[in-house]
Amino acid sequence: MKRSTDLYVDGKRNILVADDEMINRELLNNILCDEYDVLMAEDGEMAYDVIKKNRNTLSLILLDLMMPKLNGLDLLSRLKEDPDLKGIPVIVLTSDQASEVESLVRGAADFIPKPYPQPDVIRARISRSIELAEDRQIISATERDELTGLYSYEYFSRYAEQFDKYHPNSDMDALCLDVNHFHIVNERFGMAKGDEILRKIAGCLLTVFSSSDSVICRKNADTFLVYCTHRDDYTLITDKVSEVCCDMPTSVKLRIGVYSSCDKKLDVRARFDRAKIAADLIRNNYSVFISTFDETLMENELFADQLVDEFPKALAEKQFKVFFQPKFNIEGDKPVLSSAEALVRWFHPTLGMISPGKFIPLFEEDGLISQLDEYIWRCAAETIADWKMRLGISVPVSVNLSRAEMYDPALVDTFEKITSETGTTAKDIYLEITESAYVRDGDQIVDRVKELRDHGFFIEMDDFGSGYSSLNMISELPIDALKLDMMFIRNAFDKQNDTRMISIVIDIADYLGVPVIAEGVETEEQYLALKKLGCTIIQGYYFSKPVPAEEFEKFLVEKDA
Amino acid sequence: MLTINALKQLGCNTDEGLSRCMGNEAFYFKLIGRVVDDKNFQALEDAVAAKDFDAAFEAAHSLKGVLGNLALTPIYEPVYELTELLRERKDIDYSEYLKTISEKRSELAGLLV
Repeated sequence: MKRSTDLYVDGKRNILVADDEMINRELLNNILCDEYDVLMAEDGEMAYDVIKKNRNTLSLILLDLMMPKLNGLDLLSRLKEDPDLKGIPVIVLTSDQASEVESLVRGAADFIPKPYPQPDVIRARISRSIELAEDRQIISATERDELTGLYSYEYFSRYAEQFDKYHPNSDMDALCLDVNHFHIVNERFGMAKGDEILRKIAGCLLTVFSSSDSVICRKNADTFLVYCTHRDDYTLITDKVSEVCCDMPTSVKLRIGVYSSCDKKLDVRARFDRAKIAADLIRNNYSVFISTFDETLMENELFADQLVDEFPKALAEKQFKVFFQPKFNIEGDKPVLSSAEALVRWFHPTLGMISPGKFIPLFEEDGLISQLDEYIWRCAAETIADWKMRLGISVPVSVNLSRAEMYDPALVDTFEKITSETGTTAKDIYLEITESAYVRDGDQIVDRVKELRDHGFFIEMDDFGSGYSSLNMISELPIDALKLDMMFIRNAFDKQNDTRMISIVIDIADYLGVPVIAEGVETEEQYLALKKLGCTIIQGYYFSKPVPAEEFEKFLVEKDA
Repeated sequence: MLTINALKQLGCNTDEGLSRCMGNEAFYFKLIGRVVDDKNFQALEDAVAAKDFDAAFEAAHSLKGVLGNLALTPIYEPVYELTELLRERKDIDYSEYLKTISEKRSELAGLLV
């Protein structure tokens, strides 16, 4: 096993001299500079800043006790209370015997009296304190990962920073590597096989990267981190790992996220966060094994974080507005307004209008979607009530439900509460439930939909044709309308004008005895073709884009006339 | 002129001072040049005059450390004694000490020109 001291073979250790007297600092610097890189601080606060900044590379602190701003004893106590800093040995510089004991009590490793003893004595005391501290780290033993012999994650960033110190001009890459579906390997072949694979990967990394141009650790489970001098191509590694693992019972595919040519102003941890972001991009991709970070990824992440962070405020300040897109029944000679779909828009005070495509998936992931949906449902119901009261007319409005909400046992109660509080009824609100919601836990979802339907709500199956419904189960589904996935319209009219798939879906709807709704209809040609095919209801820019409630009123008035 | 002999004649322990400078005479002389102008001499006089014994102690203590390290014995000794009295915050007449310190500092400064 390598000792941590190997790290210092080609370079000097860092020492901090903290003393307010310039002459004392110069004397010590002159004594130590051949053997160490000497950092200086002229008061306690400055010393504390230097220590924090260099905590991973600082081998020892020489500390004067009487200093302005923050005196030595108080600084010493502060260091010893901080788990990140308490391991750095401190030698106190003092001329008062009384302070010597006090310093040792507070955790100093040793003291050097003033006037200073012979330079040899100073150097010997320093080197002994450093040795003791480093030995103690080795005894605490988490420096190496037991399974692979690579560095452990706890020590990795120290070594990466140490590497930067000795190679300040090297162009460096941060890599985050893991094995595609490693948990399945453990599951199928047992932990022992999994461990064997991890050892083979570690061995492979050690042959590809030399210790002079890289630092490698196993972070956890099957995740490895490599900090190495820049390379243009890492396919050699994925190929080699697959090759050395060819005698394993399953093929082993390494996946690598690369943050290339690191910005060294970033913390080491932040550099590997970026490599991880790149790796996550290809998580479920079976054909791409290397992914490189670029700044737009970070911007997307930050943007996503910002949206999630600002959600509660946006909700409280009513930055979300509900728009309405009309649906027309086209069975007769003239299209007749039949209903509307409620769609949300986010008017952000600084970012402007944000498209739902950007925030809905985020909120679904974070579980915020149910708050937003309930807000939209209520807004839609209030608008319906307002139209009824002022105009004496209304049409049903459909709202969207997310998959997660279908598991909520109180879902029916929520809708009943909304209708009773706004003075609307179940007949006023249609529920759009996406087809893919039915695919997993079908029975449970179907029961919930039945419950809603029993309470009088009208159920539209949204995005039909995108979710792999089994035709077998469709006849049993409790639905009142099929809403064609937009892709049907796009594909049918885009290239070869092939509307046969639409005909089939319309036949299915006929068989079920429910109407077909086509959305995303943009042109007269599409409208006429769909009418001819027997489609019942149409929604899309051909009639109107989604509009605010006030603007929607013109459709109501028109219908009434 | 500042030479090892001249410092010895003043009573400085140049062997000790030089050894702390790793035997580098030029470096030793450079540091001596700096300590003569140390602002703590003035700070010490001002603090004693104002009977601010905390500040006086701090200035004396700092000077003591530096003078000791450079082994400038004739100034170090009175500063050392003064520091110990000030450590007790004794409200006594310090003028004799200050006078001695000032004289010895002038002698040293005389070598620099």
